[in-house]
Amino acid sequence: MTDTAQGNGSKRARPSVAYVRPKQTPAIVRIADKTADWVISIGGLFVILAVFGIMVFLIQAVVPLFTGGDLRGTRSYTLADTVTPLVAVRIDDTNTMALELFADGKMAILHLPTGQHIDGAPLDLGGKTVTAFADTINGDHLAIGFADGTVRFGEVSISGIVIPASEAPAGLTRLSETSFTDGVSVFDAVGPNQYRRLSVSVRFGEAQAIAEGGKAIRQIDYRVSGTSERPTRGFVTVDDAGTLRYTRAETRMNLLTRRETTTVESSTLPGTGDATTVADILLTGQGDQVYVAHKSGFVYRYDTRNPQAAAVVESRDLTVGDAELTRIGFLIGEQAIVVGGSDGSVNVFSRVQTPGARTSDGYSMVLMHPLDKQPAAITGLAVSARNKMFLTSDATGAIWVRHSTSAQVLMKLKAEKAGAQFETMAVSPRVDGVLAVAADRGAQFWRFDIPHPETTFGTIFGKVWYEGFPQPEYSWQSSSGNDDFEPKLSLIPLIFGTIKATIYSLLFAVPIALMAAIFTSEFVHPRVRSVVKPAMEMMASLPSVVLGFIAALVLAPVVESFIAAVVLGFVAIPMALFVGAFLWQLLPEDAAIRFGGLPKLGLIFVVLGLGVLLAIWLAPGFERVFFAGDFQGWVNGTVGGGTAFLTLLLMPLAYVAVSMTAARTVGPALRERIRALPRTQGGVLDGLRWLAVLALSIVLALVVASLLTGGGFDPRGGVFDTYVQRNTLVVGFAMGFAVIPIIYTIAEDAMTAVQEHLRAASLACGATRWQTATRVILPTAMSGIFAAVMVGMGRAVGETMIVVMAAGNTPVLDWNLFNGLRALSANIAVELPEAVADSTLYRMLFLAALTLFVMTFVLNTVAEIIRQRFRKRAVQL
Amino acid sequence: MTTKVSANAPVAVPAAHIRVRNFRSDLSAHGEPFNWALGGALAFGIVLIVGFLLLVFWNGISTFYPKPIEVIRTVDGTSVAGAVRRDEVFRLPAAQLAELPPAQQARIRADDGYVKRRLVQIGNYDLYNEDFRWVSEYQIESVSTPPGLFFIERVEWGPFVGRIKQISLDGRVVAGEALTPQILDRAHGEARDRWWRLRELERGDIGTINHHLDEERLALRRLELRFGQGDPRIAEATRPIQEQIGKLQAEYKVVADQVTAVRQADIRNTITLTDVNGREKELPLSGVTRFVAANDLGLFGKLGVYFGRWWEFLADEPREANTEGGVMPAIFGTFVMTLLMVIIVAPFGVITALYLREYAKQGRIVSIVRISVNNLAGVPSIVYGVFGLGFFAYLLGGGIDGLFYPERLPNPTFGTGGILWASLTLALLTVPVVIVATEEALAAVPRSMREGSLACGASKWQTIRNIVLPRAMPGIMTGLILAMARGAGEVAPLMLVGVVKLAPELPIDGFFPFIHLERSFMHLGFHIYDVGFQSRNSEAGKPMVFVTTMLLIGLIFIMNIGAIMIRSRLKRRFAGSQF
Repeated sequence: MTDTAQGNGSKRARPSVAYVRPKQTPAIVRIADKTADWVISIGGLFVILAVFGIMVFLIQAVVPLFTGGDLRGTRSYTLADTVTPLVAVRIDDTNTMALELFADGKMAILHLPTGQHIDGAPLDLGGKTVTAFADTINGDHLAIGFADGTVRFGEVSISGIVIPASEAPAGLTRLSETSFTDGVSVFDAVGPNQYRRLSVSVRFGEAQAIAEGGKAIRQIDYRVSGTSERPTRGFVTVDDAGTLRYTRAETRMNLLTRRETTTVESSTLPGTGDATTVADILLTGQGDQVYVAHKSGFVYRYDTRNPQAAAVVESRDLTVGDAELTRIGFLIGEQAIVVGGSDGSVNVFSRVQTPGARTSDGYSMVLMHPLDKQPAAITGLAVSARNKMFLTSDATGAIWVRHSTSAQVLMKLKAEKAGAQFETMAVSPRVDGVLAVAADRGAQFWRFDIPHPETTFGTIFGKVWYEGFPQPEYSWQSSSGNDDFEPKLSLIPLIFGTIKATIYSLLFAVPIALMAAIFTSEFVHPRVRSVVKPAMEMMASLPSVVLGFIAALVLAPVVESFIAAVVLGFVAIPMALFVGAFLWQLLPEDAAIRFGGLPKLGLIFVVLGLGVLLAIWLAPGFERVFFAGDFQGWVNGTVGGGTAFLTLLLMPLAYVAVSMTAARTVGPALRERIRALPRTQGGVLDGLRWLAVLALSIVLALVVASLLTGGGFDPRGGVFDTYVQRNTLVVGFAMGFAVIPIIYTIAEDAMTAVQEHLRAASLACGATRWQTATRVILPTAMSGIFAAVMVGMGRAVGETMIVVMAAGNTPVLDWNLFNGLRALSANIAVELPEAVADSTLYRMLFLAALTLFVMTFVLNTVAEIIRQRFRKRAVQL
Repeated sequence: MTTKVSANAPVAVPAAHIRVRNFRSDLSAHGEPFNWALGGALAFGIVLIVGFLLLVFWNGISTFYPKPIEVIRTVDGTSVAGAVRRDEVFRLPAAQLAELPPAQQARIRADDGYVKRRLVQIGNYDLYNEDFRWVSEYQIESVSTPPGLFFIERVEWGPFVGRIKQISLDGRVVAGEALTPQILDRAHGEARDRWWRLRELERGDIGTINHHLDEERLALRRLELRFGQGDPRIAEATRPIQEQIGKLQAEYKVVADQVTAVRQADIRNTITLTDVNGREKELPLSGVTRFVAANDLGLFGKLGVYFGRWWEFLADEPREANTEGGVMPAIFGTFVMTLLMVIIVAPFGVITALYLREYAKQGRIVSIVRISVNNLAGVPSIVYGVFGLGFFAYLLGGGIDGLFYPERLPNPTFGTGGILWASLTLALLTVPVVIVATEEALAAVPRSMREGSLACGASKWQTIRNIVLPRAMPGIMTGLILAMARGAGEVAPLMLVGVVKLAPELPIDGFFPFIHLERSFMHLGFHIYDVGFQSRNSEAGKPMVFVTTMLLIGLIFIMNIGAIMIRSRLKRRFAGSQF
């Protein structure tokens, strides 16, 4: 029929059949198909890429932490005076103006973008020759010593304010496209009709005669401390005769009369007895320490807390061998000293409280950071007022930009003119530029950008010696109220916190989850299983913020006041269950089989409850016997001894040892006996055997514990130490709660997935269900179970809210179960909202996230691979 | 040969040496003790879960039920009045124990140093500077629940526990017998009406005017940016804007006058309360949100209070640093964010799964991708939060701000956390869940059905749309709902990308463009964290946290159960059509 119709179809113009389906695909279908092809392919690839983009993005955010700096530009200048020696230079924080101070007391202002000098020199120090110069680290205060033995103090600042164009004075001279000057200040056009006015202000006080007989001041150091209402100024001078003088001036304002009174206290310090010239002197901000550095390399430390009785407390050669000391200076914070030598060595020393110090004040100067050596003698040193960066120049004309804490060389700058030896340098306040002046007054300015000088792989993952610490440590402390605080950014305490939380919570969760999974899969009726399993799965979706809240606000106080009961619970509950089991064995066989299902499970619940009640009931007595009646005092180590608790800890080991010995010796005979007896009597005998083993193992544990404590071992300190309310035990419980359902579900799935024929075969061969479970099912499902543990571990590692709320967030490095911790995830959640975008802390937190990402990714991949192998094996069986 | 020997071997053994195996299994074969340990672990797990749920639900459900106010006379002669929150047994420190009279010491020592104490919500924070007090049992002389005591909920300072002395209506003082509940109710109702009117004026009218004023100012700034400051064209273009601003300011004055009038009327109506020790406190009548005559109410009265509080909780805004009032903005925020997340995650997740299962060539690469996608489901949520902040908020959002909202800079619009970025972050977090579920569902559709469809001449897309997708729908829906449940419960990433403790504006309101995706929002999970940990007094917030917890858990469980039900229902629908 169809054939005919088709055969005729070619002859006739129109087929007689009412409708022939067109064989061509309609255009719309084709277009829809093509569109779907494209949309789905592109969309799918996009999502996959997006997901992988996460890792790429995290990495790109982290990379700048490990890179050095970029050079943004450089330029050479000639100073205003090429004859008179230069005393100091200073640049402002926009890198626009440089202030030059010459030995004849004249100052000049250099406009850095154009290289022109601005006329109106703001100050002239009266034609006296400058012989010594000192400034505070922030550069605001300076002291100048003169050839006639006088000293003058001053304040200098380069300040910028934004003003509308209407307020700018008329008749400005053009310096460049956007810069103008009125001879005193520089005006930069910074926006529509807006100028930024930069002006230098210098104030100097009257000259004070210091050195007797008008001897020239050779070296000076000057510090200002106290509040602005009550400043304390201290300075130390060395004159031509080598006399050291320490002066303190305290200014107080009477609040009622508004009159200022200044008390000046001056004293001569005893000589160092070093024949070489004094290279430099340093004074700390509090004025309690004076360092006198000689060319010989010896640095003499004076204790000037009582200026009248000041004496050298320590002297040490800070250079190696014959090398001369050429430059010395404080880093910000005035704890660490940079020492440069004629052999090109640069090292950072610090005054550290050391137990074995042979000095009278218990402190000694120690080498904190040995730094890379430069090829030639160090000729210049400039210290940042913002962080631990500093620059050292050497005789070859190179300038190395360094960071003290990370001990790295960030950049190496090279002089444009061959043979230039830079002696005077000024770092810009933002540490993004340096102006270096050579001996021939040729100057060069570099602009650079070093966003993260303090981080290297070593500072993040290794021990770092921070100033004020007695030795190198792993430390995380990202912020503080203090201004010259140095952030301590080591990820190790956080990674440790994460691992600690994970391990303790898994110690709690894994046994419970796996045991529950075995029981559900092998020993309960499918109907019970169909209720229990979804309930457990539902628990997996509980928000962790809820668990954290309950853990911190409900569980933590309860655990704290019932800590003895909680500790006892770990013993009492298993014991109650074992006793229940041995009593169950006394049942006649048919009763045991008949009630083996739900009634037995119900009985287990009852026994569990009895165990809990027992723990609570016995807790006071337990506390008295084991912890001298005061658990918290006991873990502190203030009361009681360790023998009883150590016995408890050794019990499981002793039990295993005793029961294995028993199984080797009397075991087979006893088994024959039990087998020959009816079940009830056999049960009695078996129970007696268990009690005997238990008693023996208690004796064994007690003996071993007594021996150990007699030998000086104490279980306290380490895992059991001082108790705090938000502790790892509570975190372990709460996190266990989050992890148990996951491990349980996956492990149960793995065991249920074992082929039914294996189970059936085993049972048919006469094995009991217990034998089938342990000898057949468990080995087969082992890889699946392992994968379950790995996935659970992955979840515990990344869990955030529970640790944020219940862990106390203290970044400590100890295994103490009763102390808190600070995990990577919690740290991110707490600190990232406050971190400034692209700052070092921000990138460090990204690194923390990347670390978490990698940790979980590895764990999950291993789990996935194992699971796939398991699936393959299960199919083969 | 060897086989033969071995087969004969048993025969050679003398009969006396044959050990007949005892086929009775001995006790150790049953592993009874271990069996009990396994069962104990399961029981422990179940007890944990049930106990946890009971704790949360009992606390959540009972929070709003009015508790009687107990007046506790202590041994030192003072009285404490308040609702008892809970009892607790604690251990008295030795130093405190030593200071007690010997009779009490002996009693406490008999209990191993443990003492029972009760936490009393004494309220009256403005008078006492604390709202909870622990009263130990040994301090109590007598406890009574006298009538006439009120638990008064207030707009400020938390609850007041005490008696009503008098009310003053426009200077007319009503006190004692004359102050019947009816009069109090009517006066209070009027005061509350005024309070609502004030709020409507301040939020609604003044809020609208401020919003328009802001818009005009932004328009001005935009003009400045376009022409440059001081350009003559600005003056011309700003004239209508300035006029509009003037008009709005005039409107503002009118509304402000109304507000002042209502407020003055409000101040003239006050109520004077006295605490149990006779200290007085006068406050505006409108500052009281609810009078609960705790010791005089019958069952129905109590139920009325109970449901009234529930309504306030669900429909009102939080106050007193989130520890009182309601959670409506948090519910709304959670809902909108989850919805947005599903709208984003559903198409992308399904498309990716379709690509992986139907389009991509199955091979090594696809299986690696599949493992990776599986793994991403296990990556900690906080990592997604970090990514969301860095990529969405700072990079994308910063770019959008620079392009479209230059007039608002340096205040970020999209360049900070907001509901859009939060939804996108959570979408990224949950997309692996959807992909895995969808893939499984697609794989479960028999190959024969696809082949049948293609053989009939259907195109690939037609096959997918008409044959594959409908059959895979149950699985896809399950995946989506599970993703929603996970998304709704996540807090950690949200803390980084846009959740705040108090959001004054909802992400959806009456101003153009109605949906404000850049706004930050409140979230139930974060509310729990905030009230439980960041507030002044975590004890005061605790009941609130329990109720919020119950709400959140309820929401998530309903979604989970919904997933299970949809799955089973759709399965049944397609069960018959399988080949």
